[in-house]
Amino acid sequence: MGSNLAIRDLVIEYSSGGYPVRPIDGLNLDADSGQLVLLLGASGCGKTTLLSVLAAILTPTSGSVRVGDTEVTKLRGASLTEYRRHTVGIVFQAFNLVPSLSALENVMVPMRAAGVGRRASKDRSAALLERVDLGHRLTHRPGGMSGGQQQRVAIARALAHDPPVILADEPTAHLDYIQVEGVLKLVRELADDGRLVVVATHDERLIPLADAVVNLTPRADTSPREPEVVRLEDHQVLFKQAERGDLVYMVEEGQIEIVRSRDDGTEERLAVIDAGNYFGELAPMFGLQRSATARALGAAVVTGYGLRDFREKFQVASPKVLADAAD
Amino acid sequence: MLFVSLRDLQWRLRRFVIGVLATGLVFAIALLISGINASFQNEAKRAVRAFGADQWLVSKDSLGAFNTATPLDNGPGIAAEVARLPGVRAANPVLIFPFTVTKPSVRDLNVIGVVPNGVGAPVVTEGRGLKRQGDLVADKSAGLKIGETLRLHGIALHVVGRTSGISYNAGTPTVFVTFDDSQHLFFPGGKKGDLVREFTKGEASAIVVRGKVTRPPAELGVRTNAAILTDLRRPLKKATETISFLRFLLWIIAAGIIGSVLYLQAIERTRDFAVFKATGVSSRTLLVGITLQAILLAACAALAALAIAWALGPTMTLRIEVPPSAYLALPVVAIAVGLISSLFGLRRAVTVDPAVAFGGA
Repeated sequence: MGSNLAIRDLVIEYSSGGYPVRPIDGLNLDADSGQLVLLLGASGCGKTTLLSVLAAILTPTSGSVRVGDTEVTKLRGASLTEYRRHTVGIVFQAFNLVPSLSALENVMVPMRAAGVGRRASKDRSAALLERVDLGHRLTHRPGGMSGGQQQRVAIARALAHDPPVILADEPTAHLDYIQVEGVLKLVRELADDGRLVVVATHDERLIPLADAVVNLTPRADTSPREPEVVRLEDHQVLFKQAERGDLVYMVEEGQIEIVRSRDDGTEERLAVIDAGNYFGELAPMFGLQRSATARALGAAVVTGYGLRDFREKFQVASPKVLADAAD
Repeated sequence: MLFVSLRDLQWRLRRFVIGVLATGLVFAIALLISGINASFQNEAKRAVRAFGADQWLVSKDSLGAFNTATPLDNGPGIAAEVARLPGVRAANPVLIFPFTVTKPSVRDLNVIGVVPNGVGAPVVTEGRGLKRQGDLVADKSAGLKIGETLRLHGIALHVVGRTSGISYNAGTPTVFVTFDDSQHLFFPGGKKGDLVREFTKGEASAIVVRGKVTRPPAELGVRTNAAILTDLRRPLKKATETISFLRFLLWIIAAGIIGSVLYLQAIERTRDFAVFKATGVSSRTLLVGITLQAILLAACAALAALAIAWALGPTMTLRIEVPPSAYLALPVVAIAVGLISSLFGLRRAVTVDPAVAFGGA
């Protein structure tokens, strides 16, 4: 279907609460037709943001996204509408069906908007709903259907123009395990039909279905590593806001200033860390980007510890598992 | 894509119906106000026309015969003199004045004294015209029946005929009496030889003329029917202007009602609009849908207005004369109001970010 996806040096930055946030920073990705690609990660890691860019709904800060021969970031006006209609089909997180329309009419909307005749769009919608096993629910409104059924209507709608790329945002988020099974099967079938299916999810149960997984939230590195001593000159930056990092730092000598950049280019000082105190533990613990910049106030010496060493040295407890469903 | 807009209206049917009824009521009031305004204009025209005059002679400093008339002494004598002027076929005096009946209840009348069978004598639709003293021809709006006797200032006046649609000053009914009887009513208590006013000389508001006066007697001015009409309408001018302004305000209220209904819907449909955009529905298609809803609401309101006005019209104490132009204008105004009010929702639909569709539940 010509749906090869090539993402190069993709950077997405936006403003949140007055601070610049960069959930995607230099992403590169290649995927082919017939593949099911999982964008895996916790909330706020940029999965949905990345899907929005693939759907040509959000313009990235920099980088390139190519689907087949189309450079998505360059699309404007009519070609943008055309791309959204014919190249990508979207399955939204909360189904996002129109409550006043029946299942059949919800699927008809993209086709009618593209100028497909009433009869033709009706017939194709009925066939698509038949394909997702909802042939008996054509005239039902979303309010009268289960979450799984609504999700299947949403998938049928995404297939309206038989697009080569399907984007699905948390397709299992609102479903119980019985409904999940049917939806997962359907998602896999979409890829098997030769489409490129990109699924954003935090649900690791989908991993066995995928052909490729893009982990947008790197796991904390708990492997043992030697402590790293860093000597800093006045104003020398130890790490920058939005960078990824896997070390927790202890101030041995001098002071470290923690500052956060604002949208307008100014900085806000959050704290000054004196000798004997540690900082920067949240990013490696939770796989987050650094939420602030650390730099020396005068000459300073810090030691960087891996997460395991940090926990052992400073007796920071790991959470205790109280119960396991497998037991 | 129109089916999406229609389904949405069905989905919010209760709100749509409330919007239609509220807007319909406003449209109906606007329609009735148009009818009242037209009634004020028409009744004055009918009142002037009822005299059947070509010209009016009034004192030189008077603008008309109804509101700014300086009484002419010896009206019958002047009329006789005017009747002999070249180009004049007939001329008679008329006395026009307001009169308040106090028994059995207080009510206002316009009294017009005319010469029986002369210029100014009314054309009756029931009964007969004035013949002699003691006769009274009343407009139907006065509520008097033929054969009824009205006793005013000690004079017994018998209703011998009725006219239709002759009122002025905001629906005040008109009665016609003989010119001689009008003198008694105008100067109650006066009698022959009175030192203050020799009423038998015949005070007149004007001399009504059939034909054309080219050279009026000294101290008299010639007024056309149009000038008389302007004079008659003048006291109500501010009232009619205010009514017209109120009608304009009502259109705005109607636009506000439709606008708020649509804006509320647009807010509720933000996610829908975002999904539509994300799935390739153009902004133009969304605009057409919202505009269609506005026009549909306004058109249904216009139909409701016709029914409401039809039901409410007869309950009004004032005569309502909704002009055909108002009925024709109603759908046009309704659609214009619908289009203007749709702007409230249009902006919302156009500016919604399709990325909203990616939000969670």
